[in-house]
Amino acid sequence: MTAPGPVRAVLAIAAALIVAGCAVRGPVLAPAATGAGGRVELESTPFFPQERYQCGPAALATVLSAAGVDVTADSLVPEVYIPGRAGSLQAELVAATRRHDRLPYILPPTLDALLATLDGGLPVLVLQKQGAGPFPGWHYAVVVGYDASRDHFVLRSGTEQRKELSARHFLATWDRAERWALVAVQPGALPPAPDFARYMEAAAGLEAVGLLDAAALAYEAAARGWPAESLPQFALANLAYARGDLAAAERGFHAAVRLNPQDAAARNNRAEALRALGCPTLARREIEVARMLAAGGPLSATVEATARAIASHEIGDVAGCPPD
Amino acid sequence: MRSRCLVYVLCLAMLNLGSPLVAQAELVSTLQAVEASTRAQDLAAVNAALARDEVRAQFEALGVEPAQIESRIAALTDAELRTLAGQMADMPAGADALAVIGIVFLVLLILEAVGVIDIFKKFP
Repeated sequence: MTAPGPVRAVLAIAAALIVAGCAVRGPVLAPAATGAGGRVELESTPFFPQERYQCGPAALATVLSAAGVDVTADSLVPEVYIPGRAGSLQAELVAATRRHDRLPYILPPTLDALLATLDGGLPVLVLQKQGAGPFPGWHYAVVVGYDASRDHFVLRSGTEQRKELSARHFLATWDRAERWALVAVQPGALPPAPDFARYMEAAAGLEAVGLLDAAALAYEAAARGWPAESLPQFALANLAYARGDLAAAERGFHAAVRLNPQDAAARNNRAEALRALGCPTLARREIEVARMLAAGGPLSATVEATARAIASHEIGDVAGCPPD
Repeated sequence: MRSRCLVYVLCLAMLNLGSPLVAQAELVSTLQAVEASTRAQDLAAVNAALARDEVRAQFEALGVEPAQIESRIAALTDAELRTLAGQMADMPAGADALAVIGIVFLVLLILEAVGVIDIFKKFP
């Protein structure tokens, strides 16, 4: 059996590509790994062997169980599996993490962030792309460890409880999935080596779907972890306003303004809280600054609406308004 | 009498609809503040309610259990709904690499059997 010319040419090109792909040698993990002696394995991470096409529920059950949630792969199927796609979507894994009262933190797409998270003791749910061309093999697995000296990762993957994958192979499949990685964090805790913007987006997501207690714990953790940032104070003040605690809301917005005087959103919201408290004099001063800061930006319509509401407030200051 | 009753009911309904909208109109939400710094601003203009309907329709078309659809939608943020709307059929759906390997193996086997390639030396 010999192949005809064109087929042989295609095979030769494929072989050349495979060889070229393997040509670059040298360890991947050794230069990056610093913590824990270059070797970590979260052995107590549970394992849920996947049913056919159901690596989404299995991988999610793994990270949620590790975060103390009582779930199984089977119990998550109705929450994240899409029969018409024979798989699960990233956004739904994020949403299901929320539904179980855990903060869905998306890691920065770097090897350092992945290793730091494992060093910190959290298993990481990753998306991998293994197939090619018309057969993209999207796959979810959970990274539970790495060994720099042997240059490999350890995963809970599919039906394998302990799958060792060379760091090069893992990175190739992770790269092709844009290095998507998710951890389930207990509200009130910060993930290892957290990125502020990513963390706050995850916390705000909890609030947006109505998980106000979890969101409050997450914002309080952020306020402790990043004491110089105004956004956590702002977020906590928004929750206070929603509860109807106007005095606490005003204090929180004021704290945010003091931390970042350029924060138009915080000034707008403080002005609104002052108006609602019956302190229009200070509210007017605050909204004028907010108007200058927000001019031409995405918040300008909201700020103008606040300004109109304050302008139509005809009663003078009540007793006990803040001095500034 | 009935029409007066109806008027009362409608007034009540309008009050219920009206109050949260008024309270929200002048306050910048936390997610809005986060997104104002991280996302393209024109995204916010896309109606979240439309995205919600679109995602609901796609869930139905893709065979999600009707009883589950509302609770699955409720856990998604507006930004996630906007991302999903219209793209659910094309987005990466993590499944199972075994299927892919199986298909590749099958193709190789057929090519081998019809004599196009010769890589399985023991294959009859």
